[in-house]
Amino acid sequence: MKTLNTDVLIMGSGLAGLTAANTALDAGAEVIVVEKRPFQGGGVSNTPMQTLVVRDDPAYQNRAFKIHMDYTNWNANPHVVRSWLKNTVRIPAFVRSLGIEFLNIKYNPLEELGTTRGYEVGFPNAFHIGDYYRLKWIGKGHGAAIICKKAADRIREKGGRILFHTTLTKLIKTEDRITGAFGKDVRTGEEMEIRAKAVVIATGGFNDNKEMVEKYCGLHLTNKNCDDGGNVVFNHFTGSRLTGDGQRLVWEAGGAKGAMGCNGHAMVPGPGIVGDHCAWVVYNELRTMQEQAYLWVNKYGQRFICEEQSDNHMAMVTAVNNQPGKCGYMIFDQDTAEHMEKEGVERAYFIFEGNRLHNVKKQFEEVIAKGNKHVFLADTLEELCEMSGIEYEGLKDQIDRYNGYCEKRYDEELAKDPLYLRPVKRGPFYAFRVFPGGYHAFGGIKINGKCQVLNEEQRAIKGLYSGGDCCAGEVFGNPPIGGIGWSTLSFAQGFICGDEAAAYAKSFE
Amino acid sequence: MEGKQKMKLGIRDYCIRCGICEDLYPQLFHVNLDEDVVEVRYDPVPEELEETARSAMKDCAIAAIYMIKE
Repeated sequence: MKTLNTDVLIMGSGLAGLTAANTALDAGAEVIVVEKRPFQGGGVSNTPMQTLVVRDDPAYQNRAFKIHMDYTNWNANPHVVRSWLKNTVRIPAFVRSLGIEFLNIKYNPLEELGTTRGYEVGFPNAFHIGDYYRLKWIGKGHGAAIICKKAADRIREKGGRILFHTTLTKLIKTEDRITGAFGKDVRTGEEMEIRAKAVVIATGGFNDNKEMVEKYCGLHLTNKNCDDGGNVVFNHFTGSRLTGDGQRLVWEAGGAKGAMGCNGHAMVPGPGIVGDHCAWVVYNELRTMQEQAYLWVNKYGQRFICEEQSDNHMAMVTAVNNQPGKCGYMIFDQDTAEHMEKEGVERAYFIFEGNRLHNVKKQFEEVIAKGNKHVFLADTLEELCEMSGIEYEGLKDQIDRYNGYCEKRYDEELAKDPLYLRPVKRGPFYAFRVFPGGYHAFGGIKINGKCQVLNEEQRAIKGLYSGGDCCAGEVFGNPPIGGIGWSTLSFAQGFICGDEAAAYAKSFE
Repeated sequence: MEGKQKMKLGIRDYCIRCGICEDLYPQLFHVNLDEDVVEVRYDPVPEELEETARSAMKDCAIAAIYMIKE
């Protein structure tokens, strides 16, 4: 069997693994990175247009920490959160060291932290807790693939090795510490032993492992049409190969199971709305309509959430998942369709420009013509109910009351802001069925603030570290408040893993 | 037109295999899941698909599709 030797062995070449490798190399350690795919990059390659940095100032650091912890109801591990936020200050210099300049920086003053919720850190819908460093947009705007590419180039320049098509199959334990791993070439099956003084697991989430998602997140992944009895659409791109390899290795080596979760986004599935490979490619404006806080009901025709939460994706997914049939419906009438076209929607979906929608009726007709079973258009409410399966009596009763709130400009039922109170009166009537969708399943590895992997007794396993999405449950809590490929977390935990693993490896000299 | 240069497409090595190219332009691209690569269906690109190829270069999520200059 082929044998390789190194100081630090890193599994996974996403942002966390690549940052850890660069950091360990800068500290003078030898590094090998293994990546089962033929290219570098992980979850963040896809999404982030920017990253979050909390200022190196006690007032900002304290405030960000407390806001985040309060938001998770202190379910997150406070040491992990604190060390993440503290290490974000290193991000700008690291990105610039790769020859990448930020497009701009949005500084948020102390008093504004925690006052608004948004997309700005990725897709978490958590509170704003720092400054946003925006990346230069390329293509449709996903700049992080270039960071990964340049971070990989820098590893090679500094003498590190990246082995593509290579995975790890088992961690090697010698007495009480991890001393390397067995691996294999995924194309040829050739086995190898990689001896290392420290191992870093940075393999990301587990979107592509249906069993794990079902078992640990309670979501049943199904096909894109939701027509096989399942009820969840998975919204990350397919074939991401996030199969939980790192989690399995760590658990087999005695690592404790950490918090796991799935960041969700309630969505309408089926043809004509999302792409086959890439669910965030949208063919029309239905995604923007879904973002609106108009009337949402369950199959009994009853409201189930204050619709203002429609842009709080985790809240919507949880609420929809709790409804009979695990689905919800959004309903509006022709007046509201025209309102969206003429005056524009109240909430723009962040990846689309402008607020005015285009020919809502035609877009519905096109999607229906493509065979989508979750989009409905009817002249009367009775017909709409017949098509969609909503109970007419319940809906009629709800709409009568709801139209009353619209008239009074006061939602006595669920306290919705009058801005979103629009009556449902004039046909044709529109509805779509919304399912709990998942963006990203993450977590599973339990770590401390130094990114050391913990065993069942919650003691650190010597020589074993982990960072990035495979530990993100420790940051987002359980159930999670959100989270998907947070570049800020992967960078920060990459620095910590690199520091700690290199220092540990050097302690043997 | 005589002497017109033929268009060839390449995929840069930071391609993230998201498949947006095949979703939007299946006539030009294929995500080969077995090999984990994105394939361009034509080399060179037929003249009638040149405009489509230009749109694909613009629509790639990370600008990984490029025109090969010879």
